[in-house]
Amino acid sequence: MESYILSDAESVVARARRGDEAALEALYRAFEVPVYHLARRICRTTEDAEDVLQETFFEVCRSIGRYREEGSLWGWIRTIAASKALMRLRRNKYRDTDELHDELVGQRKEETHLRMDLEAALERLPEVSRAVVWLHDVEGYTHDEIGGMMGKTPSFSKSQLARAHARLRRWLGEEVLA
Amino acid sequence: MTHLSMEALVGLRGAGLEPGDAAAREHLEGCALCREELERLHQRVARLKALPALRPSRDRWIGVRDRVRTERRRHRARFTGLAGLAAAASVALAVGVSSLVQSGALGQPDAGLGRSEIEQAMVHSRALESALDRLDPESRVLDGRTAGITQELEDRIARVDRELEMAELMERQARDAELLKLWRERVGLLDALVDVHVTRASHVGL
Repeated sequence: MESYILSDAESVVARARRGDEAALEALYRAFEVPVYHLARRICRTTEDAEDVLQETFFEVCRSIGRYREEGSLWGWIRTIAASKALMRLRRNKYRDTDELHDELVGQRKEETHLRMDLEAALERLPEVSRAVVWLHDVEGYTHDEIGGMMGKTPSFSKSQLARAHARLRRWLGEEVLA
Repeated sequence: MTHLSMEALVGLRGAGLEPGDAAAREHLEGCALCREELERLHQRVARLKALPALRPSRDRWIGVRDRVRTERRRHRARFTGLAGLAAAASVALAVGVSSLVQSGALGQPDAGLGRSEIEQAMVHSRALESALDRLDPESRVLDGRTAGITQELEDRIARVDRELEMAELMERQARDAELLKLWRERVGLLDALVDVHVTRASHVGL
């Protein structure tokens, strides 16, 4: 991805390390959409996602000197973005726990067998489950990595993923009748 | 027949072999329903990956750039302010010592205690500045109330710094007393600022 949107990454990073504002902006322009996309999939609101976008690039600008080029630039930025997004969830104190979620919005709709599209079903998942689904299935993080980022165990990540998929299957009307 | 749980199906997509995976794979070979379920899972993940990219409605670069500029200014001001104040205080102390030597008052315990206390307060102030830098407060998201408190403390520290510069112009005896008062005030404010950030960090687990 990054070689396509930032073909001269090495020189841009070198200039950004020297504090060159144009280079920092080039980094922002190159990765603005993937960072926002990740943040929006994890956060509940567009406002939260936009704040995460800003926090992420503020951190990128401050820490670019510490980027060692051992992994990909996008991988480094993505980890910052994921951490900021999860930090935002913690800041909201996991207000949307599984139990609360079920109590508030789950039962009524589940009984109707309402078929939803994937986007709506994903949006409807509790925040933590949605974050795990996105980080594992789309971004490719392992359960160990997700558990580490969330301050939880890998087992927590695994069970959240399984529960999320069970819900998605139900909401999407994909259940196989045995 | 007991079919595979969603946890087992999700586990089968993993790279490594988990305990129970071998049995799950064996079941899968003989169960068309579970194979179909796994295929649906693969398809669902593929559709998740194919969801269209979401774009921010507003350009946030200006906000990022302004914060970076503010932090650079603050960092420079803090560094040069501290270095300048430390240098000025050293000069003041040297001048004070010289005056005391000339006036024969060096042996007076009160004067010696005052200088020593100023130096202690300066050292304490530098230590708190370092602690504050390690806490990295700029990277934290603050709620409105905490942000208001930190802003007020930072403004008061800036005021004390200005008063420290003014104190350098005072007569010697009044100057030492004023310097000591201001350095102590500065230490107190920095201490409070560190407390705010430590409390905030531990409260939200950042």
